[in-house]
Order: sequence, then C-alpha cells, then structure tokens
Amino acid sequence: MVSPQLVWVAFFAPLVACVLITLFFLKCKTSSSLIAIAGILTSFICSCLVFTQIFQSNPPAQLQQSLPWIHLDTLTINFGFLMNPLAIMMLLIVTGVGSAIFIYSRGYMDEDPSSPRFFAFLSLFAFSMIGIVLSNNFIQLFIFWELVGLSSYLLIGFWYAKPSAADAGVKAFMVNRLSDFGFLCGIILLWSLSDIGAGRSFQFTDLMNVVPHLAPHMLTIVALLLFCGVIGKSAQVPLHVWLIDAMEGPTPVSALIHAATMVAAGIYLLARTFFIFAPSTTALTFIAYTGAITSLMAAILAVAENDIKRILAYSTLSQLGLMVMALGLGGPMQGMYHLTTHAFFKALLFLGAGSVIYALHHEQNIWNMHGLLKKMPITGITFLVGTLALSGIFPLSGFWSKDAILGLAFANNSTLYLIAALASGLTAFYMGRLFWVVFWGDSPVHRRRANEHEVQESPAVMTIPLIFLAILSAIGGFIGIPHFLFPQQAPEELNLKVALISSVIALLGLGFSYLIYGKRTEADPLVTKLGGFYTVLQNKFYFDIVYGWYVNTIQQTLAICLARFEKEFIVRFCVGGVTNLARSGGKTFRYLQNGLVQFYALIFILGAILLFLFLMLIK
Amino acid sequence: MITLGSYLTLSGIIFSIGLVGVMTSRNVLKVLLSLELLLAASNVSFVAFSKFNGDYAGQLIVFFVILVAAAEVAIGLAIIVLMYRRLSTIQADELRTMKW
Amino acid sequence: MSPFFFYSFATILILASLAVVLARNPLYNVLALVVAIFSLSCLFVLLEAFFVGMILLLVYAGAVLVFFLFVVMCLNLNTVSLASDAQRRFRWLGTVVGLMFASSFCLAFKSFIKAQTMEASTIRGTIETIGKILFTDYLLPFELTSLLLLIAIFGIVSLAQGALSTGKNVENS
Repeated sequence: MVSPQLVWVAFFAPLVACVLITLFFLKCKTSSSLIAIAGILTSFICSCLVFTQIFQSNPPAQLQQSLPWIHLDTLTINFGFLMNPLAIMMLLIVTGVGSAIFIYSRGYMDEDPSSPRFFAFLSLFAFSMIGIVLSNNFIQLFIFWELVGLSSYLLIGFWYAKPSAADAGVKAFMVNRLSDFGFLCGIILLWSLSDIGAGRSFQFTDLMNVVPHLAPHMLTIVALLLFCGVIGKSAQVPLHVWLIDAMEGPTPVSALIHAATMVAAGIYLLARTFFIFAPSTTALTFIAYTGAITSLMAAILAVAENDIKRILAYSTLSQLGLMVMALGLGGPMQGMYHLTTHAFFKALLFLGAGSVIYALHHEQNIWNMHGLLKKMPITGITFLVGTLALSGIFPLSGFWSKDAILGLAFANNSTLYLIAALASGLTAFYMGRLFWVVFWGDSPVHRRRANEHEVQESPAVMTIPLIFLAILSAIGGFIGIPHFLFPQQAPEELNLKVALISSVIALLGLGFSYLIYGKRTEADPLVTKLGGFYTVLQNKFYFDIVYGWYVNTIQQTLAICLARFEKEFIVRFCVGGVTNLARSGGKTFRYLQNGLVQFYALIFILGAILLFLFLMLIK
Repeated sequence: MITLGSYLTLSGIIFSIGLVGVMTSRNVLKVLLSLELLLAASNVSFVAFSKFNGDYAGQLIVFFVILVAAAEVAIGLAIIVLMYRRLSTIQADELRTMKW
Repeated sequence: MSPFFFYSFATILILASLAVVLARNPLYNVLALVVAIFSLSCLFVLLEAFFVGMILLLVYAGAVLVFFLFVVMCLNLNTVSLASDAQRRFRWLGTVVGLMFASSFCLAFKSFIKAQTMEASTIRGTIETIGKILFTDYLLPFELTSLLLLIAIFGIVSLAQGALSTGKNVENS
C-alpha cells in the first residue's frame, strides 16, 4: 500500500531546502546548490518509491490524507494530499525534470554571485509546484497556485538590476493575478453550490459527487471561471503576453517553470478536475477553440522572432495551446500525454539553448550564432533530438503524443484539426529555421567579440542532464505513459491516416525551412518577403501595445480618480470633517462656561425643569 | 375654603419668585436674600403638610431648617464681606475667574 | 374669618417677596424680607404651628435679618452703580425660566387631587407638643444642629481672621 510518510517527505523536502539555504547558506555558492539538489532529489526518490507502491496493485492504489486546518461552523478547509496515478505521474515529471534542471543550473549559475538566492527561490518553486500537484482541495490548490506565481515573479526578475527583467517579473505577476481573480470566483461559486446534504466542501472527492446535481448553466459558468485561471497560468490568448517577456529570467528558470512545469499546471488542473468540465459542452468548446487559436497564433509569431529563447517560448505557447485544445475536445489522457513528452523535449531544448548562451557568453540573437554543431557536438545532437521530437517525427516521443491529439481532433471537429495541423506544420518550420541558423554550416564565426576564446562544449554538469533528457525524449513514446496516467482508460489506437498526414506536414515544414535557411545568410530573408505583415508579427499582433494603452489611460485614470476620491472625500471630508466638527463644537460650547455663577445656576434649574417635564411626560 | 392646595400654591409662587431672584440679581446680597425666600417657601409647604397630615415631623423640620439657614446666612455674609474687601464691589459678575 | 386672614397674609407675603427681588436699594430688599417673614409667621399661626411661628420671628427676623442689615450698612453701597451690561442678557432668560418653573409646578399640582379635598387635622403645634417630640424622638438631630452651629462659628471666625489681616494690610498701605 501507499505509505503517506513518503508523500509528506516528497511534499516538504524542497521547502526544507529553501528554508535552510535562506537561513544559513546565503553566502556559500556550493553548499546552497548542493542543498537544493538534495532537496529535489529526495522528492524524486520518494516519488519513484510511491510510484512503485501505487502500481504494485491492480487496480492502482489511491490515497488521500488530510490534516484539519480550518474548522468553522459552515467552512471546512483541510490541508492534505490526494495521490492517484495522475498525480504521481505529474509528480515524477516535476521532480525528475526538476532534478535534471537543478543539476544543470549548478553549472549555469556558477559565475553569478547571487546564485544561493537563486537556489532558494528554485526550491521554493519546487515546493509550490509539488503543492499544486498533490493538493486535494481547491483552496489549498489556490494557495500553491499563487505561491507558484510568486516564485515565478522572483525568478523572472532574478537579475532585478536590469529594468527589463524587473518589468517582466511584474508583468507576469499582474497578468497571473488577473486570471486568478476569475479562478477564485469560480472556486467560491462552486463551493457555494456544493451543498448536497453533507455541508459545503472544497475537496475534489466531495465535489465529484456534487457535480451531477448542479444545474447545467451554473456548471458552465463555474467551468469557464475556473478556466480563467488556466488562461493566465498556461498563457492562453489573451493573457499570453507575460510568457514571452518571462524569458528575461535565467535559462534554467525558463526551462523549468516556463516550459515543463508551471505553465503545465493549468493543464494539470483541467485534467485533475475534468469531472467539472466534462458535462458542459459549451465550456469544452470554448476551451478547445481558445487552445487552437493560441496554438496557431504562437506558431505564426515564432517565425518572426530572432532571440533563441523567445522562439522556444513561442513554441511552448503553441504546444500548450494544443494541450488545452485536447482537453477541450474531451481528451484529458491525450493532453496529459503531450504534457509529459513536452516536458521532456522542451526542457531539453531550453537547456540546450542555455548551453549555447553560456558558451557564447550570454549571446542570445540567433543571427550571431552559426555552425555550432561542430564545436559543441553534445549540445547540437541533443538539440536536434529535441527539435525532431517537437516537430513530431517518428519514432520520437513527440510523434506519439501529438498524433494522439491530432487523432482526437480529426475524429471530433475538422476545423480544429485543420488549425492544429497548420500549427504543427509551422512548428516544424520555425524549429527547423532555428536549427539551421544556429547549428548548421561549416565555419563557426560569431559576429561579436571575434577575438574571444574559442567556443567550446559546456561542462559535464550541464551536458549530462541534456543527454538524460534526450534519451527520455527519444524513448518516451514506448514506455506506455498513457497507461500510467489513466489506468482505467483503454489505450487509444493509432489513427494511421492522421499519422501519415502529420508526418508529411512535419517533413514539409523542415524541408521548407532548409530551403530558406540552409545556406548561411546575413539576415532573415523573410523580412523582405513578408514585408508589411512582418511588422505586424514583430509587434506580436499588437497585444502588448493595446494592453499598455489600456493600463496607461483607462486604468490609470480610474486609479487616479479613486485616489482623489479617497483623499478628498474620505480623508478630508469624513475623517477631517469629524475632527472639525469636534473642534468647532468645542469652540461654540465653551462660551457656556463664562464664569458667571448665576448663569450656571440658571442652566442647572433649566435642566431640573426639563427633567421634571420629561418624567411627567413619561407618566 | 382654604385647602392644602392653596398653601402649596402659595409655596410654589414664593419659590418661583425666589428662583428668579437667585438667577437674575446683580447684587450678591440680593442673591442671598432670594435664597432665604426659597427656604421660606419650603417652610410653608412643610408646615402645611404637617397640619393637614396630622404629623408633627413637618414642624420639626422647619425648626431645623431655620437653624441651618441661620448658620448658612452667617457664613455667606462673611464671604460677601471678604469679597467686598478684595474687589471693592459686590456685583456678581465681577467673580468671573471660573471660566474657559 | 379664616379665608380672609389667609388671603390677606398671602398677598402681603407675595408682594413682599416681589419687593425683595425687584427693589433697587439693598436696604429695601432686607426690610421687604422682614415684612415677608412677619407675614409668614402669621400664616404659621393660622396653621396652629405656634412654636415655629415664634421661632421664625425670634431667630429669623430678630437675628438673621438684623445681621443682614448690619452688613448692608457696613458696606456702604451705591445704589446707582449696580447696573451691569454682562448680566442684562440673562435677566429675561432668568424670568422666563422662573415662569417655566411656576408652570411646571402647577402641572405637577394638578395631579395631586387629594390636596383639594383634604381635611385639616386637629393637631396644634404648641410648645408642649413640639417639645415632647423634640426631646424624645428628635433628640439626636437637635444635638447635631448645636454642633453645626459651633462649626459655623469656627468658620466665620477663621474667615474673619483672614479678613482682618487683609484689612490691616489695606489700611496700612
């Protein structure tokens, strides 16, 4: 049976690491990194043990344990975990990929003087993410949701002295906060409706029994509000704007948070609480279309990017859109499958990009990199594996998971299938573009600092995680992930027609990109070919400009109005008015004390008469 | 027909006159005299009640009131004399120091 | 007979008290009060309270008001200079309050119906009857009032001492 102690250790190990680093080791670089790695590895080992325990029995075991936390008359909130196959798979991804990235960042951040702070924040993030994975009720989930947002803000703005990084952190936090408002509304609405005789509850297991009793339109509203949280956290249109600027953070942060785990938290939420969304077709359609639009739009925008991390960020956006679309089509298994394989190859791609950036001393523009395959073979080959997996080439893991989604779309909704297929083709195109420009070619020349020391392969502490992730990306399709995620569901058959079509599209995309970018060029030839449309792409479809205008004019005016109202009315009129009233009252009334004793006697007798009249009237 | 009521009415009238005297006199001596009028009014009502209820207690109270009034007048006059010596006047509104 | 005497003495009493309040000359105030005490005493005799009537005359009119007269003569007051601006405002206010009091008294009185129909009892407040009660039931208050008078004497003597020394300074400077 599943032992709860292992789960609690896996839960709190990274928090212990974070606290230790913050309290004692903020000056030592080596100790802080080792403590952080120890924390996440402990969680990983415990997760592996729990995994074996769960799948020892058939059907797989499930465990829920809660500690009482808040117990009022009408409000009960517990703190606990719900361990089932879905949770343990997600936990394995988070801790496994997380361990690889922690080890990698030991090498990447060793030149940075404030790396202990980095490892403390990273451990805090790991704790929050594990909290989201394991939570068994909405309020606890929301707490860790916000904590993850906080860790993301801290890590994006890690180099806070750089204004663009600080701004990017604030932007990420604000956009997430906006979506979390809708999320919280949905949580509370669901809670208020959840009384079917045993009192209201936030727990998932209780809500599973509540959902069949809800009115359909209320359920749709709840589902859409909960989806608001997903829109923000998993960066769907229209709240996708933060993810691109989040690349200001160090590359391990981008790999861990903005590729593999945090942005996947939205998908995980949808899968975990899919029983809320499943009965409502309106909500599911909305979700599917949002995902599809995000996927296509991100793929189009990636074509016009020149920063290696931003291209990868757009590809993350596109794949997240695909996952959300899969969930909207009623396929949590397909969505989670793609999430798992995506975690592998996206982390791999980001770490590879980090390796390139590190070797070129923080150069990020792809037009300043060329022909690195010869000089950095391990990075180059693993990057190639990642690119092929992302494009969906047989037999890598990406092929299986993406085809599961495309097969689902083909069977249910042809518009969505077309959009998804187009996005996949564009994915292959721009990833090919990236690979040819950065790694292909004969003579490695980089523009800036031509006399710097030779470009060389990154140290082993960085390449070993790359190799590990590359192996996972390659064999990911064959280890039977869907079976572990949703053991009750029968495995999906591979739709041969869809598989063939998608492979052809991918190969076309790669080939097309080779045609344009295979030979070494000075600048992007697409700029001239697309002309005006390219400017639109460069402005990212004007989302940032519109949002910026809105915040600067409408929101600021509103804020200024409210501030003025508060200052004038509340402070000067109400509060100041009370004091003025007291002061002027006092000034008037002090003339009653004029020192004439007979006047006092008069008032005295007047009072006595009034009292007497009052008593007479009462009679 | 003279009833208890007539005596009480008389007492009320005298008391009101005494009150007006206390509240409006410019002269402190007049205040003291009006105070005596108040006491006189209450004496009337006490004796009237005593006669009509058949209880001697009213008259005895009057006896004590007269005694106490005598003592009070003595001290009051001493104070007025002191005031005259200090301020050379006995106008009531010269005593204004208990004010804001 | 009785009503005639009552009404005449009551009228004198009221007129005298009005004179106490309204007269300008302080001497007239005191003398009006003497008249009022006289009529008061007559009223007491009408009520067959002989003892207190006589005590009133002896103690009040005979001692207290004479003392008042002494002080009035001593202080050498000017009748004219007693007009003051500060108090004019309150004169009419005081009169109004007095009228309010009188009216509320009547208001209270209206509910006291028994007062209209009571029969007078037959007690007579002579020296024997008062004396019997005074020295048996009310002995303690009697002794305490003598103590009170003693304290009053102490008070006056100490005040006068202070006055004397101040007076001496005034005279010497």
